Amino acid sequence: MKKNTLVKQIIFYVALVAIWQIVSMTNIWPNNLFPSPYEVAEDLVYTASDGTLFFGIGTSLLRLIIGLTIAIGGGMLLGIFMARVEIVNQTIGSLVLGLQSIPSVAWVPLAILWFGLTDGGIIFVTAIGSMFSVTIATYNGVKNINPHYIEAARNMGAKGTQLATYVLIPAAFPYLISGFKQGWAFAWRGVIGAELLFSFLGLGFLLNVGRQLNDISQVFAIMLVIMMVGIAIDGIIFKRIENKVMSRWGLR
Amino acid sequence: MTKLEAKNIVKYFKHDSHRLKALGGVNLQVEDGEFVCLVGPSGCGKSTFLRIVAGLETPDEGEILFDGKPVTTTGPERIIVFQEGALFPWLKVQDNVEFGLKMAGIPKEERAQISKRYLDMMQLTKFADSYTYQLSTGMKQRVAIARALVMDPDVLLMDEPFAALDAQTRDLLLVEMQLIWEKTKKTILFVTHNVTEATVLGTKVAVFSNRPSTIKKIINVDYKRPRLVEDQNLFPLQQEILSELRPEVKKS
Repeated sequence: MKKNTLVKQIIFYVALVAIWQIVSMTNIWPNNLFPSPYEVAEDLVYTASDGTLFFGIGTSLLRLIIGLTIAIGGGMLLGIFMARVEIVNQTIGSLVLGLQSIPSVAWVPLAILWFGLTDGGIIFVTAIGSMFSVTIATYNGVKNINPHYIEAARNMGAKGTQLATYVLIPAAFPYLISGFKQGWAFAWRGVIGAELLFSFLGLGFLLNVGRQLNDISQVFAIMLVIMMVGIAIDGIIFKRIENKVMSRWGLR
Repeated sequence: MTKLEAKNIVKYFKHDSHRLKALGGVNLQVEDGEFVCLVGPSGCGKSTFLRIVAGLETPDEGEILFDGKPVTTTGPERIIVFQEGALFPWLKVQDNVEFGLKMAGIPKEERAQISKRYLDMMQLTKFADSYTYQLSTGMKQRVAIARALVMDPDVLLMDEPFAALDAQTRDLLLVEMQLIWEKTKKTILFVTHNVTEATVLGTKVAVFSNRPSTIKKIINVDYKRPRLVEDQNLFPLQQEILSELRPEVKKS
């Protein structure tokens, strides 16, 4: 990031918090509906100091990682089959498009009935809510591979799993990475949504506890944390992979 | 000994809704160690013919015999070099060259030994760790040729490999190609639309007619090597080929 941009962003956020503070001091909205930044910060320090916050973040992230891993693995496999085997695309392909339109929280009732109020249920919601976007990105990626790459590889003796591992996946990687990014975004929404409804540990659970206790500062605080974890994962993990891939492919 | 035999190869193209007869019964016999150049008007199907020999496409009628056995699929005994090289952008030069060996399950050290020999031969040693986007078009074609030679194929199939090169680079590679052929004694099929290129490289030049194409004439080139592009002694032969070609180009 350019230094200039960083300075602008710092000024923007400082101003935003200042406006927030001023608005809360005017008491347009009652304090139990609109907390001041100080109260939110206090709540953050409090939940952090007794470990609740970090346990919540850890629980949600662990579920995210397991769910997203399943989604990426399954999604890529399905996407490759759809791109390479016409009959799979004609049949399962249409179903995938339909399934992708189901929001992840809509899977929650099913997950509760199948898995009960367990980690497994939340991971199921996370995985299934993000898998099909990975599938579609993989399909598009493999379909857009320069056909000469595949022909050259087959000509040199690559087939089956070898062809998938050494040619299809790396050749489709610029597409895959945007699929992973989208998949992660869906997965993060999925985890938090599922935790809210399952009420079983994690950041979504803490958010719901805040609501039940009428603790508006906690609601604000947890939402901030959800956002910051999102920014961190996007900026630290995905930006780096993306930059690396783009320069390796000579795309930038 | 006959290495390759094309028997009455017929191939249709799908052109919008109707079928276009591209190859109208191509017959060709190639002896072991021959360097056969295929010339013809553009769009006559000479590249398609080469792809059929490679096993990347199937003919609608007729068959290709390789060492007397019909060709049913593609494989590393008939390696094709594409016009734009079709190098893998996600691999370094050396890994590109070793790709086929890796697919064949040859261990790393042995692969490195073999690839070193061909990287040296193609003057690529300095670029072994480069990615392909860092190379010039001429360098890329050297990598593509090295990648093909590493497989020690019985037959080398080259689809206008020098068409995208500047004149100086091409002249240099034309000399190198002759040295490689003399050194390795490979059977080579070389598609080009450049008559000079054909007479410089080939032991034989096969002239394709316009669609539906057949081989109209085969001209032997008996002349000492290395032949140079500017060698005047090749001019009469080039004139002869051009006089065969001209009416075909007009028809197309």
